[in-house]
This record gives sequence, structure tokens and C-alpha cells, in this order.
Amino acid sequence: MRLLTHNMLSCNIKGVTNGFPLRLEVEKFVEKEVDFSAEFLRNIFPKIEWKALVDASRSMGYSQLPDEADSSMLDSDDFLKKFHHALLELHLEEGVLICPETGRRFPVNKGIPNMLLHEDEVFVFDGVNLVLNYHLNSTW
Amino acid sequence: MNTLFRTTESPFLQYLNQPSTSDRRRRISSLPVRIGLGRSTRTGLAKTTTRMMASSSSAATETVGREVLKKGIADFYDESSGIWEDIWGDHMHHGFYNPDVQASISDHRSAQIRMIEESLSFAGVPEDSLKKPKSIVDVGCGIGGSSRYLARKYGAQCQGITLSPVQAQRAQALAAAQGLADKQVSFQVADALQQPFPDGQFDLVWSMESGEHMPDKKKFVSELARVAAPGATIIMVTWCHRDLSPSEDSLKPEEEKLLNKICDAYYLPAWCSAADYVKLLQSLSLQDIKAADWSQYVAPFWPAVIRSALTWKGLTSLLRSGWKTMKGALAMPLMIEGYQKDLIKFAIITCRKPK
Repeated sequence: MRLLTHNMLSCNIKGVTNGFPLRLEVEKFVEKEVDFSAEFLRNIFPKIEWKALVDASRSMGYSQLPDEADSSMLDSDDFLKKFHHALLELHLEEGVLICPETGRRFPVNKGIPNMLLHEDEVFVFDGVNLVLNYHLNSTW
Repeated sequence: MNTLFRTTESPFLQYLNQPSTSDRRRRISSLPVRIGLGRSTRTGLAKTTTRMMASSSSAATETVGREVLKKGIADFYDESSGIWEDIWGDHMHHGFYNPDVQASISDHRSAQIRMIEESLSFAGVPEDSLKKPKSIVDVGCGIGGSSRYLARKYGAQCQGITLSPVQAQRAQALAAAQGLADKQVSFQVADALQQPFPDGQFDLVWSMESGEHMPDKKKFVSELARVAAPGATIIMVTWCHRDLSPSEDSLKPEEEKLLNKICDAYYLPAWCSAADYVKLLQSLSLQDIKAADWSQYVAPFWPAVIRSALTWKGLTSLLRSGWKTMKGALAMPLMIEGYQKDLIKFAIITCRKPK
């Protein structure tokens, strides 16, 4: 899983409002060389949550990204190379993605995140809602 | 769901009824009370707890059924994807054919590609460089055939989700082999009913023959709409049953029986009609809703799959693959029967998310 993908994933447990970004726990990562394309980077930049990318790349041991970035920096070759490296060349092979709100752990195996939820994370038991409704509205 | 859909019975339906709130209350009062509180007390607390426990047990049954279905789907595709790819390649969907044509085996791959192109054209997905989709989600991506095709066609990012870890791995491997993995496509194991993406991420939301696996059509469609960006196109190509006539409450018993057998073999929950999908899209205030019956354009497909299964390679692969795959293969004539009886429809339903 490269950080471009990580930048698009969020925790989908019912009721969670702050499920992005997922924290990384790295067990095994690799660096893979990827063809550089300035045009691609410029196009994708507006869609990237920058802070999430910075934090994620730091957990992979790469701390060369600036804390903040704006589109004027896309003219700098040096910046583009760092952006490219963090976004596309750092691959999490084995590890965990952690929901910032609930701490729920989503495993990453062979580079593939497993975002499937368990039963109790999907279905909010109706009984809770019924009781709440009764207390709020005095009706069922 | 029962009030909106005239759903068929399915082997999973005993678990997967999702009644409306009013149905649920009626159901609660008729469930036997089996809790530790003394039955002599009928105070507010006891009543509350009674209803809570009863409702929880029906909710729990539903959840168990969903888990059984999801595992069944994952296992089915874990087991059978390899043999499919071996014989048919990386597109796990119907081909689009000229009507009344006997297609030869070499025509099928181009027919499957044509299916993608015809779907994009039907939905009116823009092709010019400013308006074309830049981020795409492939819901029920299989081994990534559509994802890779769409990513290449539009030069776009594509995320694919599938319940099957084997498929996700294979999809990733194929992308890497084709030089796409690094920038453009990635795959996750995830549930289409709980997509792991924030709202409004994608310009094109693609569901090619995965809708029939979704036990909660309303949730499925809501998620498609949720992850769609303003102005995005949503495309669903899926197996439906025929629309019901105004005088009908449900399908005929023999029709339900046939679909039941198919559900069992392919891990499908209850079917709905294309009209049901249209109603759902309308209820979500989606625009430009279009639907069509493409059954006549896919007619050569199942006979071709059966012929491929009856080759030496097909038979030996089936015998090696496992019981789930074999059961699926044995159910293929049922699909043909369903189409011939005008019961099964191959439907495309598309719409746009308002800006």
C-alpha cells in the first residue's frame, strides 16, 4: 500500500466522525522505484491531504517533507522529488492502519489493506435507539 | 425493505429481512420473551429491557446472516477466480454482443471490453481532458479488469474493492505486471456496504455485476452516492428480476423457486428489479437517472461459458477447483432458463450526483 492510497482511506465504523487519517503501524515496508512524472504530481496535489501524507511518511521513516505545502512549491524540482518519493515510492507491505477515533486496527497484508468491519461495528443495536427515543420523546 | 421491494425469497432471506421500523415494532411484540427478568413485572424498565432484548436478537440474527453471506462470497471468489481467469481472462462480467449472433470464443474478450465501453457511453461519461473522470472507484472489482481498463482509458486513479483477499492480491499483481500499480490502481479488501473512503471522493463510481451480491440494496446505493463527488457519474450494471406489473405483489412462486436455486449457487441475497433501483436513486435525489434492459445483448454469454466449461481444460480445472466452483458451474443452465423466461434481466442503471 503506497501513501497515495493511504491518503484516500478512512475508517468506516458506524458513528465514527473522525476516521481520517488512519495512523500507520509499520512492520515491513519497502521502497520501490517509480517513474517520475511532474505532471502527475501537479494534477494529484490538490486532492492530497498534506498533513496526513507528512505524518504517514514520517511513520515510514521519511521526514523530508515540509510540514506545509502550497501549489507554488510545485515549481520546485526538489519539492517534487520529495513529494514523489513519499507519495509513490514508500510501500507498506505488512502492518496496521489504526482508526484515530476508536483505535480499531485494520491489517495490511502483502500490501493490501483489509478494511472489512466486524458485525458489531456495523449494526448499532436497535434496542439502544428505542430506549433513547423513549426517554427523549416518551414514545416508542 | 419489504415494503419498497417485492423481493424474492432467497436461502439467505431468513437472516436478511430488514423490516421497516413499523414492521420491526410489530415483530418485536410477537417475539417470545426470553430474558432473566421476572415476567410478573410489567413496569417501564421491564418493558424497555424486553423490547431491547427482543429487538437485539432480531438484529443479531440479521447480522449473522450478513456475515455468512459475505464469507460465502469471499470464499466463492477465492476459490473460483483462478479458473475463471485461466479460461476467460481478467474481466469477470458479461460480454456485449450484437443480438442473434453466435459468437466464437475469440469474440468474447472484445465483447467484454465492449460492455465497458457501451456502459460508459450509455451513462454519458465525458471524454474530454477537462471533464473526464480523474478518480474512479470500482465497487466489486474482481481481479481488477475494469479498474485497469478505466485507469488506462482516462489516465485516472482507480481504487478497487472486493470481499475476496485472493482477488485483491491477484488484481494487484496484474496491475504491477502491466505497469499500472505504481501510480494508478490500488486494491483493498472492503465491503461495498461500508466503503472505506471519505465522502465525495470519486468522479466515476463503477459497479459492474456486483450489485446482485448486495444484501441491502438501499445501503449499497447510498454508499455509491456517498462516495461520489458532486457532478460524478454512477454506473451500475447488474442482474435484476423483471419489473413487476402494477397488479403484482411479488414474483410467481415458480419464478421465486428458480431464483432461489441461483442464489444458493452464486451467494446472492434477494433479487430486486431495475425499477426498484430507479426508485432508490430517485429517493436519494440523484439526477439524470437512466435504466435499460440489455438482456438481448448478453444472450450468447452463458451458452459460451457452458461450452468453455465442457472443454477438457474446463472440466479438469473445475474438478480441481472445489465444490463451490462446481456448484456454480452446475447452476449455469438455470441462468439461461431465467433469461429465456424473461425473469432475469441484465440491467444497466446510471445517474449523476448533483453538483
